[in-house]
Amino acid sequence: MDAKVIKQEGQTLKIVGTSPVRPDGTPKVTGLARYGADFALPGMLWGAILRSPHAHARIRAIDTSKARALPGVKAVITAEDFPEQKFEFVGPERVAVNFWHMTRNVMAREKVLYEGHAVAAVAATSKAIAEEALRLIEVDYEPLPHVIDVDAAMQPDAPLLFEDMITRGIDPPPGKPSNIAKRIEFNIGDLDAGFAAADEIVEMSFKTAPVHQGYIEPHACLARFDSNGQGELWSASQGHFVVRAFTARLLNMNIGDVLVHPAEIGGGFGGKTVIYVEPLAAALSRKSGHPVKIMMSREDVFKATGPTSGSSMTVRIGVKKDGTLVAADGVFKFQAGAFPGSPVMNATMCGFAPYDIPNVRSVGYDVVSNRPKSAAYRAPGSPISAFAVESVMDAVAARIGMDPLKFRLLNACKTGTPTVWGPKHAHDGYAETIKAVLAHPAYAAPLGKNQGRGVASGFWFNNGGESSATVHVNEDGTVVVATGSMDIGGSRASMAIMAAETLGIEYDDVRAIVADTASIGYTHVTGGSRVTFATGIAVVEACKKVIVELCARAAMIWKLEPGEVVWENGCAKPAGAAAGKFEPMPLKAVAAKRALTGGPIGAEASVNAGGAAPGFATELCDVEVDPETGSVKILRFVVAQDVGRAIHRSYVEGQLEGGVVQGIGWALNEAYIYDDAGHLLNAGFLDYRIPVASDLPMIETVLVEVPNPNHPYGVKGAGEVNIVPAMAAVANAINNAISRRLTDLPMSPPKVLAAIHSGRKG
Amino acid sequence: MRVVLISSHSGHYTGGVKEFEIEAQTLHDVIRVLNQRYPGLGEHLEEETSVAIDGEIHEVAYYHPVRPGCEIYFIPKIEGG
Amino acid sequence: MSKHHVTTTLNGNAVEFLCDTQQTLLEVLRDELHHTGTKEGCGTGDCGACSVTVDGRLVCSCLVLGVEAQGKSIQTIEGMAQGTSLHPLQRKFLEHAALQCGVCTPGILIAARALLARNPDPSEEEVRFWLAGNLCRCTGYNKIIEAVLDAAHEMRGS
Repeated sequence: MDAKVIKQEGQTLKIVGTSPVRPDGTPKVTGLARYGADFALPGMLWGAILRSPHAHARIRAIDTSKARALPGVKAVITAEDFPEQKFEFVGPERVAVNFWHMTRNVMAREKVLYEGHAVAAVAATSKAIAEEALRLIEVDYEPLPHVIDVDAAMQPDAPLLFEDMITRGIDPPPGKPSNIAKRIEFNIGDLDAGFAAADEIVEMSFKTAPVHQGYIEPHACLARFDSNGQGELWSASQGHFVVRAFTARLLNMNIGDVLVHPAEIGGGFGGKTVIYVEPLAAALSRKSGHPVKIMMSREDVFKATGPTSGSSMTVRIGVKKDGTLVAADGVFKFQAGAFPGSPVMNATMCGFAPYDIPNVRSVGYDVVSNRPKSAAYRAPGSPISAFAVESVMDAVAARIGMDPLKFRLLNACKTGTPTVWGPKHAHDGYAETIKAVLAHPAYAAPLGKNQGRGVASGFWFNNGGESSATVHVNEDGTVVVATGSMDIGGSRASMAIMAAETLGIEYDDVRAIVADTASIGYTHVTGGSRVTFATGIAVVEACKKVIVELCARAAMIWKLEPGEVVWENGCAKPAGAAAGKFEPMPLKAVAAKRALTGGPIGAEASVNAGGAAPGFATELCDVEVDPETGSVKILRFVVAQDVGRAIHRSYVEGQLEGGVVQGIGWALNEAYIYDDAGHLLNAGFLDYRIPVASDLPMIETVLVEVPNPNHPYGVKGAGEVNIVPAMAAVANAINNAISRRLTDLPMSPPKVLAAIHSGRKG
Repeated sequence: MRVVLISSHSGHYTGGVKEFEIEAQTLHDVIRVLNQRYPGLGEHLEEETSVAIDGEIHEVAYYHPVRPGCEIYFIPKIEGG
Repeated sequence: MSKHHVTTTLNGNAVEFLCDTQQTLLEVLRDELHHTGTKEGCGTGDCGACSVTVDGRLVCSCLVLGVEAQGKSIQTIEGMAQGTSLHPLQRKFLEHAALQCGVCTPGILIAARALLARNPDPSEEEVRFWLAGNLCRCTGYNKIIEAVLDAAHEMRGS
């Protein structure tokens, strides 16, 4: 697959890098855009879900007879309505799917494993009747001891979520079951020799709280499934093809018998790459014979959908007096939630990735406990290990008396630097982000009393993978671009920009849409910062096919050979021997003759895009700590990120601004608070406090553009790495302000105040 | 060319051997050679890994060319948020 | 249980509807009157996604009962543009890329219009505090604040 079609060096870009209004903008400011909860069908029923009041309990029996007898109730389902799934891990190691787990997370079977775990669902003619029916369902629970904390869950006498779970990744396998689902380890060099050669060694331990993605739109969908085995879903997700595949599997249907319409999505950040309500709505619809809509409440979202993992970590770094890193060791223990599958592998891979360190060991544990199953969240895993690694890096720089940015620059990875997971880095970009912050006026700005400055960096892979796009020329010469990528933050604008640039036409002559699962080829989820890269390649490939066709049509009009026509600035142009014979023919003119030259003009391209280049970010944070209350105010925040190339400048800036602010929330406020019974106490936006406008300054963005040669316009990815350094940048700033190192997230006022009053210095 | 298996499950097929010297034209050939030596390994690599060819990370696909002397790492597949 | 008959004004138009006692104004707007531009983010008055005005007063429609709309004038996002002409706030949100997913946008536009009606020349800090009840998880607020300040500037000039 040759993606390198468009000249990188010296190319003049007309539209790439500008910030036009998005194609889906007006419906979103007028209230007409339709999100997951905004669809309705005639005869539609309301679905509601009964959830576990226990953190851990065996289900002895469920009696639904009274609920079924209630007038207006049309269907009641439990786990019995879903086929049993084989116990096997399928797919890639890091995100191996085990449908035995997935069907149990969607609807509890033998046991409930967390407060809020779904145990039954009903469909009724009104919301009120559905809610009343839930109260009539009798579940006979046998409460079991539970465990919430990751360190407690790893103890030998901890209550077991799965009585037969043997840790994977240990050879020979342990003889006893535990809550440790998996152990992973990466190594390069000789760790002991590395630390022996170090002049200074710093070791610290850290804890981070699980945090929720916090999208404003709760999960919602509308399902219309027939008893004859076909169905339709309107669902807000980060990947309607994945919704289709998972829902079909859990309902034992063929993938082709499920059609998923992509509703507008009200935020996801990784949390909508999995399914919760879709198979329940589908099963209720199939059983009742009516369309069924399910909307989660915010409480449901907090109690039953994926946060990212909390963690317990220890990081040790060894350095020479001259600042050369010689050894690093990290042990990262991650809460997976109630089922295996935390992002700990990413954490072990990303933590030390920005640095050239010859001797590294990185160990991870995936640990289950009685809390909701974790789901992907913005650069999954990387921000967590980066909090530990970048905090220790800050302490190491202080120990040897080096400027923290220059220390990072001295050890920054570049093309050819080995990674702990094996291959060498193939792209530059990290050093450029450090230099951008070094050169930023903020780095030299004076600080006042109780103020401090911190810096930190981060790495994220960015992804490629499977994507599909079609490009059709309309009768009037305008163009429609359709892709299979859910648009979560303006990607339709980016697709339209790349299509217009490639075809040489105006941005306003291109409409970009997201097509349903029956109207476009398979496209993987909107996640991993992959859409503008991978789907962008598909769009450009389809445009190239259209250009070939446009040239052939023009050749026919001019009675030239197809090889005698080239495409330039949106026009067909005679070339070679025919050069100058005819005036260039614009796309509109070719389109006008389409019927005479063979009919409609369009093309599809499907790719498995490789060569995604990683993203690096370096961030600076200034804080002021109130010594009376321990409250931390963010005074200034600068983010420099290598994006490869920004296609839509404003939306790329927006990714950086949004990612940083999520990181600030993670650093200062956000956490799940449980009582002794394993009940979540803060399942709402009042008590789970995400950053609000008055908490923040303007986030200052620096777009570093070191182009990726594997993308026609140089894209690397914009969405994720911005969150990676943020918590460490805040922690390092607090340390700078109060000479106390906070190692336990969130750094809420009581913890900061306690640190101020403690004798321990950072 | 040097071929290294980083994915932790690959050891089940190879008895722990992680590094190989292989001559091949495409990634398809690499996978075929490895699968001939260790039946079942090919499917594992196809389904459950990404590949880094001279550091560039790709999804595993047959058509990737591999040049003499290049470094090939089969690594755990990455997914984002 | 019989329903209540409510007569109200929605975006300047006389409207009648039937609702249950416990139905919120948000549910009535979305489920009975099919005005789904007003969003539910939390149902507890914490996120501002369901912001509307009732007789000019900014409220979370999830905290208002449907029956309370009797005799009132309700303004929602669907009534913000004048025909095909967008309100300056709507236009500036598009120009400044002040939305990513867009689900908080209707509520923020309604809240921002209420601010500018009281204070046509707000400072950045005043905008930040006024909008502190409207959560946005995508943008980090930069471009929202810029769009509101720019719209205020334009509206003062005209």
